[in-house]
Amino acid sequence: MIRKTRRKRTWFAAAVLAAGSLLATSLPAHAETGVTSSSIKLGITLPLTGAASPGYNKIGNAMDAYFKYVNDNGGVYGRKITLIQKDDQYSPQLSIAKTNELILKDKVFALVGPLGTANFTAVHKSVGLQRRGVPSLFLNTGFSGFANKKSYPTSFTILPSYAMEAKIVAQFLKENFAGKKLGLVYQNDEFGIDALGAFTAAGVKFDVSIPYTSGTQSAATAQTWVSQLAAGSAQVVVFFGVTSATAPLLAVAAAARYAPQWILGSVGSDPLTLQALGVPVAVLNGALTPAGNPSPNDLTDEYVKQFQEINTKYNKAAFDDYVLQGMNLGLMTVQALRAAGQNLTRRGLIRALETKGSTFASVAYSPLGYSRTSNVGHTGYYMAVMGPTGDRKPFGGTVTLYTTDSGNGPVVKSNFKRPAMPAKGLPNNS
Amino acid sequence: MRNFKLKRSLTLVAASSMLSLTVVSIPTVAQATPACTTANFVTTCVGATTDTAPYMMMVPANFNGTVFLHSHAFRPNIPIPVGIPVYGGYTITNTPEPAPGGNAQIIGHLLGKGYGVVGSGFARQGWNIDSAVKTNVELVGLFKKQFTKTSKVVAWGNSMGGGISQALAEKYPDLIDAHAALCTVSDPAQIVSFGGDAVFGVKAFFDPTIKGGNYSPGAAGYAEAMADIGKIFGVAGALSAAFAANSTNPAWPATSTAPAALKSAIPSRSALVLVALMAGIPLQSAHFDATSTPPGATPLVALGAQTAVFPAFAALENLTAAAALGVLVLYDLELQAGGQAFDNTATNYAARVAEDQFIWVSALSGKSATDAMLAYLAAVPRVKGNPAAIAKLQTLASHTGKVDKPSILFKGTSDPATLAGIQQSLADKYAAHHAEKWAAAKKAGIRTKPAYNQLVLWNFPPEKYMKFTALGSPDTTVPAATGTNHCNFTVSQYLAIADMLAYAAENGKNLSGGALLTKLRKAGNMTFDRGYVAPRLRVLGG
Repeated sequence: MIRKTRRKRTWFAAAVLAAGSLLATSLPAHAETGVTSSSIKLGITLPLTGAASPGYNKIGNAMDAYFKYVNDNGGVYGRKITLIQKDDQYSPQLSIAKTNELILKDKVFALVGPLGTANFTAVHKSVGLQRRGVPSLFLNTGFSGFANKKSYPTSFTILPSYAMEAKIVAQFLKENFAGKKLGLVYQNDEFGIDALGAFTAAGVKFDVSIPYTSGTQSAATAQTWVSQLAAGSAQVVVFFGVTSATAPLLAVAAAARYAPQWILGSVGSDPLTLQALGVPVAVLNGALTPAGNPSPNDLTDEYVKQFQEINTKYNKAAFDDYVLQGMNLGLMTVQALRAAGQNLTRRGLIRALETKGSTFASVAYSPLGYSRTSNVGHTGYYMAVMGPTGDRKPFGGTVTLYTTDSGNGPVVKSNFKRPAMPAKGLPNNS
Repeated sequence: MRNFKLKRSLTLVAASSMLSLTVVSIPTVAQATPACTTANFVTTCVGATTDTAPYMMMVPANFNGTVFLHSHAFRPNIPIPVGIPVYGGYTITNTPEPAPGGNAQIIGHLLGKGYGVVGSGFARQGWNIDSAVKTNVELVGLFKKQFTKTSKVVAWGNSMGGGISQALAEKYPDLIDAHAALCTVSDPAQIVSFGGDAVFGVKAFFDPTIKGGNYSPGAAGYAEAMADIGKIFGVAGALSAAFAANSTNPAWPATSTAPAALKSAIPSRSALVLVALMAGIPLQSAHFDATSTPPGATPLVALGAQTAVFPAFAALENLTAAAALGVLVLYDLELQAGGQAFDNTATNYAARVAEDQFIWVSALSGKSATDAMLAYLAAVPRVKGNPAAIAKLQTLASHTGKVDKPSILFKGTSDPATLAGIQQSLADKYAAHHAEKWAAAKKAGIRTKPAYNQLVLWNFPPEKYMKFTALGSPDTTVPAATGTNHCNFTVSQYLAIADMLAYAAENGKNLSGGALLTKLRKAGNMTFDRGYVAPRLRVLGG
């Protein structure tokens, strides 16, 4: 009797399974926007042309190169990734139009690495990312305002915030340049203001403080900055602006033989981009900069080495910080897609980042802050010094990692050890 | 006939010929039986409702029982002196308008398909939703009495007419089978707030002699309102000249009494952008898109044009397009409310632009400049409204959004006069209404979700639409871009709306799926996107 019952149950279970498999095979391969059984479509907006494009225009291709590498190695659970790049020329209004195109026309599954604070603010407001449930991974901006999970529930930052950066620089100034006359040149928007607030909160007072409006940077305006800095006898000058502003500042200063100790913010210190903008890299010699990643030339670093190999085969661009960042965005994205599982959904991707994102491998030295209550990416910097070729090395010879938050939390020296690069640069997480 | 919206709606100029034929025969007193004539298989009836509002009915010989009841757009309730720019020379008119702008092509299309058309000129002009709804109710009865085959009534209208159609559908659901509110107005408090904020900003930054409200009784108040229009156009003219002379750092109008330190440090264009942002005026206009770049510009100049200069030009063009209409509406509502109905004593303009200042930071000349302008604005004496007038304003027709018959909303996202946020507010109200109905149904054990019977359509401007002259200057002589200006719709769009309304009335539900998308695609520049949410009105927290 018992045996019979078991047999019946076994038969019943087998029938259910068979019916289930029939049902499964008769369902469409995948119902999520931008995802098929064999593909995942992603999109990015960034300045590929125009004044703000130098450097940033390499990020998309670098990311795409990494995706091609992953695709050639089986993709993500068999799905090949396609990346659609849209040139927004750094115009917020154009970012809205291009993002609409990505979502409504191209029907991408998610946005990855959208660039610019004004741009993403405009997109978030006008495109309705939250309402549409479109994941926006790894915003390429350090504006601390985006670290608000309630306001940006489908968005995730990746860079340490400008506030974090300024807090760390403030700590560094106190430790190394106490008593020196300090100057500050900053972009007069949320970028610089984020930093200014953090400097003020940290008790750092600048003897000369110069705001500039984005888009007004030029040799002529740089001349006025240098004049003011020199007149104020600033011995240490902190710069919080974009590379297209760093270039005229350093060029004019060099021509005027004004040589303070430069501390260049992470955004505007890429030597290859500065060189492309006509700045002799030698002027960078001795400049300090907060850095999140190792030098793109550091072949002893397993991430850099792997990314350089991929770049050589799939991208063929001069390997610099932007290419490194683009490759890393690709690596992070693939881990997020894998963590979301084979049944890929937008909701699942967001949940995967919330629950597993903090464990992802990333080239940056600092921890990732993702959780159910936080959409914050990396949380720290080390200070680096640049050489005559523009290459950077850790200040003091070894990486001293500082971590902090965008609020009132302390700046602490961290012993965090970043996860190892996945074998061959191909994540196998789940 | 003078119709302000019509003047700017370039596609509708063909309308006047048909109406001019009929004006002479329209009675100006109520009459029980309309006077009808039949020619070319079309019966045209004219008459007046009991409130003396003239009407016109047109019915084809093959009338299929469905009639389109049209409500016309805002017409001032006062004559406009000749000297007033753009609107000068207008005299009050109540000529009936049985289709948008009285457009012959639209009327012909509807008659050709067997539909009847009817429209009133309304007894009162200005902000007239309450009285116009009453007129329309009577008019529907008269039409049905005259044409007994009538089985379906479709209400539609644009601008003020959209607000009338919406109110009619809300209050008389049994009378209307489908309706469309196009480039619509909605609650008067929304308009008062929007217009009041804009005028307050212009006054604070550019000309403190603008009265901006609280007009005197009688002829003196009329003169003050007309003078305000002139002054606002004066400011716009001065800014326009300054922008043309130096677009990067344009001078301030001579009438400005803002602090000299502010004016020397911040270009006037940035103050204008701030005014636009605090009122919610879009920064894309008929001829300026904030995305195009001047031909041959260096990359830096191009970026500056996109993010700093052209947005200011757009603000100026939009302000010019909407200013006079705004003052006229404010003046009329003030007359009806019995005093100053605008009050900004509790308005936090800094909070209003908290997010937008990041987006438009270059146009605002940076955070420090924005802070300085907001600090100045905070020190400018605020407008204290008359509590009785504010209370009275609330009693004028406003919309609940509660409609159960099929409805259609359509608006340009860069409409400078009736902002996209107005349509969004109606869509939000309908969504809440629908959610309530669904909750009630579930409570009653009903598991079928009520049909979502509102179609919210948008007219987006193209990605880039600026044109430049051979000399590289922005060309403002070309037609306004689609999606910009007030009620800047094409005949094709109107016809698509009409077809969709007819379908909705016949079937009790809106067109959907592929048929809807095909209809929209063929009409051009009509978007149905459930995921889009227009910036909400400032007064509603947007």
